[in-house]
Order: sequence, then structure tokens, then C-alpha cells
Amino acid sequence: MSPLTRLKTIGHPTPRIDGVERATGKATYSGDVHLPGMLYARVLRSPHAHANILKIDVSKALELPGVKAVLTHENCTVVWGAGSISGGRQYVDEIKKITRQKRYVFSNPVRFFGEPVAAVCATNRHIAEEALRLINVEYEPLPFVLDQEEALRPDSVKIWPDGNISLNAKNEPKPEVYQRGNVEEGFRTADHVFEDRYTTTYVHNAQMEPRVCVANWEGDKLILYTPTQGISNCRHDTARDLGIPDEKVQIICKYMGGGFGNKNQNQDADLIAALLAKQVGAPVKLELSRKEDFIGVHGRWPTTQYYKVGVSRDGVLQSLQLRAYSGMGPYRKNSGAIGGVELYQCPNVQSTVYPVYTNRAVSGNYRAPEFPQGFFGIQSMMDDVAYKMKMDPVEFVLKNMTRKSNDQEPYSNYTLEECIRRGAEAFDWKKRWHEPGSDPGPIKRGAGMAFMTIRSPLGQSSAVIRLDSNGRYTVFVGVTDIGAGAKTTMTMIAAEALDVPMSDIDLVWGDTDRCPFSVGESGSRTTDMTGYAVIEAARDIKRQIAEKGLPKGENALIASASPNPSSEGKVRKAFGAHFVEVEVDTELGRVQVLKYVAVHDSGRILNPLTAESQIKGGATQGIGMALHEDLLYDRRSGQPLNAGYYGARIMTHLDAPDIEVIFIESDDGYGPFGAKCIGEAGIVHAVAAVGNAVFNSIGRRMKDLPITRDKILGALA
Amino acid sequence: MKTFANKNPRTLDQAVSIAQQARKEGQAASIAGGGSDLLGMVKEFIVKPDVLVNLKTIKGLDQVEQAAGGMKIGGLITLNALGSHPLIRSQYTVLAEAAETVATPQIRNVGTLAGNVCQRPWCWYFRNGFPCLKNGGDQCFSIVGDNRFHAIFGGGPSYIVHPSDTAPALVALEAKFRITGPSGERMVPAADFFVLPQQDATKENILAEDEILAGVQLAPAHPGRRSAYSKVLDREAWTHAVISAAVVLDMDKDVCQRARIVLGGVAPIPWRLPKVEAMLAGQRITPELAAKAGEEAIVGAQKLSRNAYKLPMTKALVKRTVLALATRA
Repeated sequence: MSPLTRLKTIGHPTPRIDGVERATGKATYSGDVHLPGMLYARVLRSPHAHANILKIDVSKALELPGVKAVLTHENCTVVWGAGSISGGRQYVDEIKKITRQKRYVFSNPVRFFGEPVAAVCATNRHIAEEALRLINVEYEPLPFVLDQEEALRPDSVKIWPDGNISLNAKNEPKPEVYQRGNVEEGFRTADHVFEDRYTTTYVHNAQMEPRVCVANWEGDKLILYTPTQGISNCRHDTARDLGIPDEKVQIICKYMGGGFGNKNQNQDADLIAALLAKQVGAPVKLELSRKEDFIGVHGRWPTTQYYKVGVSRDGVLQSLQLRAYSGMGPYRKNSGAIGGVELYQCPNVQSTVYPVYTNRAVSGNYRAPEFPQGFFGIQSMMDDVAYKMKMDPVEFVLKNMTRKSNDQEPYSNYTLEECIRRGAEAFDWKKRWHEPGSDPGPIKRGAGMAFMTIRSPLGQSSAVIRLDSNGRYTVFVGVTDIGAGAKTTMTMIAAEALDVPMSDIDLVWGDTDRCPFSVGESGSRTTDMTGYAVIEAARDIKRQIAEKGLPKGENALIASASPNPSSEGKVRKAFGAHFVEVEVDTELGRVQVLKYVAVHDSGRILNPLTAESQIKGGATQGIGMALHEDLLYDRRSGQPLNAGYYGARIMTHLDAPDIEVIFIESDDGYGPFGAKCIGEAGIVHAVAAVGNAVFNSIGRRMKDLPITRDKILGALA
Repeated sequence: MKTFANKNPRTLDQAVSIAQQARKEGQAASIAGGGSDLLGMVKEFIVKPDVLVNLKTIKGLDQVEQAAGGMKIGGLITLNALGSHPLIRSQYTVLAEAAETVATPQIRNVGTLAGNVCQRPWCWYFRNGFPCLKNGGDQCFSIVGDNRFHAIFGGGPSYIVHPSDTAPALVALEAKFRITGPSGERMVPAADFFVLPQQDATKENILAEDEILAGVQLAPAHPGRRSAYSKVLDREAWTHAVISAAVVLDMDKDVCQRARIVLGGVAPIPWRLPKVEAMLAGQRITPELAAKAGEEAIVGAQKLSRNAYKLPMTKALVKRTVLALATRA
């Protein structure tokens, strides 16, 4: 692989262009928006996991001075299209139209603790909160089910009349199946067959900024200030849900405090604020508390995974079978898929995943939605197979990892082996990995590794560039900057493509009335797709300059691009490998991460400063998922017990270890300057790597996340 | 949040009379020190005061004074000031160490000693508003619920664990608590301040509604004293003690003359271990003796369905803390 050519702006560590505003409190987040005459809204949420609402009496709330409106299922029948979609196909309009299991903004029956029952707006927050307590709701509690496997037992309560297997994109109650070869034949001819069960839990995105939005109607046009990862899809979704044309909705998101998938598209909070504002004819601000954000939006789906693995006597995979259940909560907000079988080269593969309804908080996007839980399951399983086959896990991986996508299609380039070899060397794998549980004394060290591939798609997005007669370039892109630094990256790409310094460029972002379509900051797509559009627009404007000369006076040159590139039948993936050393105190059950090496190929690194942060942040979330986080429910009442930063034991700064990030930069010839995806790449294999290190430390396989001290001490007792 | 009246007394007596007046009028009064925990509970409607008595307007309640060879500490001292006070650090190390393990720096900057000692339980059933014994109901939901953080000693009918870090340290130091109420002031030994649920399941200490924990008094420190607070957290910061141990050893060269060992996170009150203390008194503390002390520490423990892991932890924590202190140069 030839070294990449050095560029002027791209590849240089560059501070965020909005860093000062953010750090000094000058940045205007949605919560900072104050409009004249603005009212405040609060939401009454279900205190039951599953119940029919027999009666709602809002008269006392309406009598409270200062209360302006109350919405319930009785006077609001708006459907939240992105809240429940057949097959979890959240971006497909056609499927939203045929979706049968619809999610109303206010539902009756309520199907999870925390589901909106009513919303109030009033002249201040305090009155709105008082008013909630004056709403009298008569519930008929129904049986409920919290676990995705229990939900499929014949005696389980049916959350939907169709049953608890969520409907697929064709409205059939069927699992998602992938198959190649014949697994039964593979198990018959394998020398060894291993079986096991792994479980993962609901973990919340826990982004800094909880949901907050301000809705304001100017005539028949809605202006919505809301933290969304995609202003374009948020506009389209909101317009559809409200039954108005797209151009009658303006979405503004100037700054946001993170999302990690929690803020894709529109949310019910946006609709509630818009509906209240419409009804009272005044701007309305709706703010969710941290606890509401934890139970009322969504988190990663919990899973139960059964693996059956056949290998030959020399440790080569012969057959791989997964049967799994994903807990979706009572609505299908996302696919419920479980990634992992694609990581291995194997002639016979079968994966059957059931997305299942439960009465827990709804599951949805969280940074690499289907991967960390699946990668934990399959890479713990494979680590165990390697152990039982008396093989070094790295040797096992090198022997069995994917070389072609699904053993068939070529990758656009392939550096997985290099990631693993570089990581093993930097980590000193041969020295740190040892016979599991073999350290003497109560405090034991252990090493583990895991690897990954993750989709790095290309696709349509847009950019507009204007050059005025003062020589200033204005770049219009529909990014919102979830926190990954998209504004800075887009400016860098424009500067490089235009061959001007970044200081010659102004960026316009985060406003659907001013910016062209952008794909949205989800699926690690913005840099590749919108960045590609910026390059195309820059090319166009350079061509115009060559043809027409520089603009003079009031004239300006304008270039617009909406490219839809493809990788010509090759599968684009980012690659990576994580190596972790932990220390387990076998008397107190404490796990401490001592050393962490993360090797990644995300193509060319556009901004090393923010790219490293992406990997470190993802790995840190992965450690939290491995060791701490779980939204616990009381089994008798169906109520969550530990929603919030304190209770869910989200990682603190003190918990984050030093993480050494090594980038293997490559250029497959498709992305902007050779960039591939990065946003989700850091979390996907972190959980498995930590779990495998714990096994190497104590010699006990921890099969149920999170790996908390009670489980460690229980396993060692 | 419920509507309430905020009152700013200038003196402790005023504070008491405001609370007393409220009680006479059938109103609920809450005493606020730093308010860092109380306001959260008010927002969640766990505490529903009509009157909030804001002690921060009383001057001088946050002072540390040397008195009769010992120390008087005002209840309103912040946990940060307490943890960094040089005399407390050197003579009453266990208390300073306990203070600096509480919550987060932001909370320690406003949270007070008295507030930490009087903090309500962090049982998730109580904090989530279940109609439990602590919320005026008739059952403890942890018994058949998720009790992984609940008591292994002294439980029944409620199985909460006392949430305070400074409380075990104060009991281990045999502090005296200065309580101000309508009938004046009284001094109570720290150990007698806390109340087991079998005595009164609705509260954790003896304070009446119109009484205030004004301060604590510490006796002169033994010249050979070594003390330490060991706390096990569920992450590196901002959790209450899964378990903790406050250990005070009065040493004469390498012989332990007297030991006091008090556990946090295991019982509804700071849990003293008199048998372990007796085992160590007059002894050279060897690794073998420390291990025996650990074994003895869990005698009589009663596990619930999900908290058995606290037993081996308690054993190890007592063993390690005692041995580390005794062998410290």
C-alpha cells in the first residue's frame, strides 16, 4: 500500500471551528432559545408497564391559572411515524405508510413505563409541573413482560394483537434470517461443536443534552428548534406526521450536546411541542428531564444470543449458527438486528434474529445500533472456542476472520490483518496474554482482544458553495454537528478542495431553510457523503472561475452538487482491532482497565484531533457497556429502577483509561480524500475485547452483560 | 416541584422555631443544609415540604474549633472543607478520607457534614417513589425485588443501607453529636444517633422534625492513632458505598491497644463490629490475625437473594484495611 500524499489542510490536527463558543457558553443550544410569549410544556408519563386508560380527567389541570392547553389521546390522534415502523425501516417512507403497529403520540393502551399519557403547556415550568399532578387518570393495569425470551412463551401477554414477534417490512411476524451453505451439514462434518448463550442489556445513549425543543408557528409554517442528528429527515418526518408539506416546516439545530443515535429524525417531543404551540398560538418549549430522556426516548436493544459453532481439529470454522432475540420495547423503532456473523469466514452460516416486543423502554439507535451487543456475543464465543481448542485467540482470529464480504464480494480494500498484527505488536500481546486465571494472588491481570469490520457507505448528499466578490466562500451544508466535528471537517474539506485557507470560508449549517439536503449524522455517513458533495461543489465553482473569472460587485458564483457515488460493487468497510489489559480484584470484584490499544483503518484521517476523540469516546462507551450499564427493572411492577447518570453507572472521566489510538491510513479510492467511516468504529468491538480480557484474567467466562462485581464474585465463589 | 416557602433564619434558635411553628400548623418542614440531595427529592416529589428552612443563612455553623484537646466541627461545614482541613486530615484521618469519597467535587462543594450524616437512603424503591416503609407504605420492596445493594446486617422490616460516608467515620471516632431543638441543646454519642428499622422504619436517626444536627464534637486523638476509610464504589466516582470500612487503631508501637471498626453500605445504620474490635485489642496485627478479623466481620450476616457478594467483599475489605493500617510505617 503506497503512503498517502500529504495535503495542505486535510490530515492536520485542527481545533473545532466552534470550540470557543462551545467552551465559553456562547453557543446557542435549543434549550437556550427564548421567544417572546413562550410557554413551557411538560409530559405526564405512564406509571404502568402496560395498562388501558379507562378515563382521563384534565378539568382540574385546565382550571389551574397559567395552564393554556392539555393534550391526551382523547384530543390528539397524531401518529409518530418514526416511532414505530414495520421492520424498523426508519428511513423508508413507503414502509411507514403500510406500518400496521402504529405509534400514537399519546397511546391507549400505554405499553411501557414512561410512555406519554398527556402533555401540558403553561406560562412557566412550575405551573406545568403542578398541572400534571392535577390530571386524573384511571388505569386498568394489564399483565406485562420484560424479557425478550419470555415474551415468546405461549402464556405471555400479547402486547399487540399480532403477537410479540415484531412485524417485518412486509408486515409478517417473522424473524430476520441470513443463510449460506448448510449449517447442519457443517456440524455433522466438524470435529468439535460448541454451544453457548450470551446476553446483553439495555444501555442508554446518555448524551449530555437531554431532549429539548421549541416550536413556533408563523402562520401555517412550523419553525422547530430541536436537537436532531438530521435536519432533513427531521423536517420530512415532522411534516408527514403533521400532514403538511415539507416546505411548511423549518428545522433549526445550531448546536447540540451529543446524541449517539438518540436524536435521529424527529421525536415525539417535537410533535408534542408543535401540536401544543399550534393549539395555543404561542411558542412552546418542551424539556425532558434526564430521567425522562432515559426511559422516554430509547437505548440499545437488549439481546439473548444462542451460538452453535463447529470447527475442524486444526481450528478452522466449519459451521456457525446464531439464534437470537432482540428486545425492542413495545414499538419497532429500529431493526433489532444483531451483527457479528459477517466477521468470520465460514462455509456454513445461519443467523435467525427475532425482534421481540416487551414492555420495557423502547429500543432504537445507539452508536452502531446492532454491533456492540452482537460482537460481544460472537467474539466471546469464538474466544472461548479458541481457548477450548488450546489456541492463541489472535491465531484463531487470523485463521478465521473475514477476507471477503460474506466470503463472496471483494472489499474495496482490506487492512484487517494489518490492524490485528499492528495492534498485537503495539500491545505486546504475546507477553500480556497468558493461561486464563493463572496470575497468583487475589489481583489478577488478563489480556483480551476483539476486531471489527463496519459498513462505510457512500450515497447521496448535497452541498452549495457561493463565492462573492470579496473572495469569501460560503459553504452551505445541512449538517448539525452532533459532536463529531462535522462543521470543522466540512470547512477543512472545502478549504482543501478549493485550495484556500480555512479562514476564507464561512459555513452555514443546521437550518433547513438555508441548507441543502444532508444525509444526517447517523450511520457514520456525514463525512463521506456530505464531504463528497462539498468536493463536487468546489470542483464546480473552480470550473466556473476558470470559465467566467472571479465575481465582481454584487455578483456571486454559486455551485451546487448532489452526487450519489458508489463503490462499484465492492464492499466498503472500515477495519479495526482493540487490545485490552484488565486487572481484576477477585476479592472485591473490581475490574480496572490498565492498557488499551485501538488500531483502526478509517481510510485517510481528515482531522487527527477529532478522529482520535471518536475512537476514544466509542471505546469508553464500550467499556461502560461491558462493565457497568444496565437499565434495571423491578420485575413485580415493571418500573425502571436506575434511570439516569447516577443510577445507570455511566462512565465518569475517572473511569476512562488512557487509550492509545493507532490509525492505519489507506485510500480505497472512493471516499472524500480517501476517508472512510469513523463515528461508530470505536465502540463496536470494545465490549468484546474487555469481556475477553476479564476471561483471561479470572479464567471464568462472563456471558451476561454487564460484568459487574456481583457476577464476578458469584462466578468465583 | 411542589410550591413551598423558603425561610432564611439567622440563628439556630430561629431555625428551630420556624420548624416548630410549621409543625404546629400541620405543615411539613424540611431542614436544608447544602440542599444538594434535598432539592432533588423535592423535585421528584419524594419530599413534599411546605416550608424549607435554609440553614445557610446562619453564620458560623461551618467552623472547625479546637476545644479541650479535641475538635468541634459545625454541621454546615462543606464536605470539601472537611476533607481538606489540615488538622482533621492529620488527627482524624478517617473522617477527612470519608468526606472526600462522597459523590463528586461539585456536590462536595455544597454538601455539608450534617447533611451527609442525615441523608435519606438511596434505595431505588424509596427514590423511585414506591409506597415503601420509607415512603409511608407498609412493605420493603427489596425483599422480593432487586436487593443487590441492600443490607446484610440489621435489616428488617426495611433493608435499606445507610448512605452516609462520614457517619461510619464519626461512629468509629466515637464522636458526639450536638442536637438543637425546641427544648435546647443535647449531646448524643454518634452510635446512639442512628435508628434501626425495627425501632422506627420511617427514619434513620433520632432527630425529631423540629430538631437540627448542629455539629459534632471529637475527643482528643490518641497519640498512636492510625485511621482510614476504605470505600468500594461501583465506578471510580459518584456512587454511594457498595460497602465501606471506617477503621481506627490506637497503636502502641506495633501493638494495637484499641480498635474501632464500623462498616458502611451493609446495614440500615453505620455497623460497628465489637467482636472484631475485641479480637484486635492488645494484639500485634499479623496477616493471619487480619484474615481472622475479616472472617469474624461477616459472622451473623444475612444475605438476601442478590446481595451475597457483599460477604466476601466485606471480609476482604476489613482484612485489607486493618492490615494496611497496622503495618503502615
